[in-house]
Amino acid sequence: MPRDEHREGIKGMANPTRYGIERVAYWLMRLSGLGLLAYFVAHIYETSNILRGQVGWDEFLELTQTTEGHLFLAIVIAMCVFHTVNGIRVMLGHGGVGVGKPARPDYPYEPASQNYRHKIGIYSAILLAAIAMMYGLAVMFGE
Amino acid sequence: MRESTIMKIHYGTALAAVALVAVHILMRLTQGFAESLEYENVLANYKFIPYAAMLELILILLSIHGFNGLRVILLELKQGRVYEKAVSYGCLAAMIGLIAYGSRTIIMTNMGMI
Repeated sequence: MPRDEHREGIKGMANPTRYGIERVAYWLMRLSGLGLLAYFVAHIYETSNILRGQVGWDEFLELTQTTEGHLFLAIVIAMCVFHTVNGIRVMLGHGGVGVGKPARPDYPYEPASQNYRHKIGIYSAILLAAIAMMYGLAVMFGE
Repeated sequence: MRESTIMKIHYGTALAAVALVAVHILMRLTQGFAESLEYENVLANYKFIPYAAMLELILILLSIHGFNGLRVILLELKQGRVYEKAVSYGCLAAMIGLIAYGSRTIIMTNMGMI
């Protein structure tokens, strides 16, 4: 069976220039979710080192309280804020908030739900994530 | 369980976790960031029962939300009866395992079993 030349698989699906900011938000939501889950599991393991007493705790802090550790934590903060703000936008959208009124689909068939309100929500999530990351860096490196 | 019910749980755990994680982070900022991570301070946090109860609640909420999120992502990638069952039960097992491991830390530290 000949391969469909238009079938690009995940590469085509992830192309942000083709489907707009909504597709970027979709990918960022999933990537930040997976990143946060990985961090959460690592954090549970990290904090379990307290059971090794003061020596064990201090040994582990030496590994994490470094410049690289702080930069990693700043990325976690950004992922957390984006995931939260965009998640609230998605929840509101699922509840019917900000998706517009139902109407007859007419040319050029622009989806009513992909309107400026939700676009502002996505850009706000990205902006707030950047601000939170800068604040986190200031707190961690400001000491 | 119906997917609509699971999504309500997914959103409910998210909203509750946001509020509690905000408190958890603010606790790091009440003192200096590095100071708040010192052994004695962390131990005192765990021994304070309301805070330990909040940590346990965060652990449960985020485990449910996180592993259900992972399940949704994996089910979007591929479908099939056996695959869907394997993903759902796998995520459930991982969720229970993480809650058990985290609870062990909270309970043992709170009771001074170090």
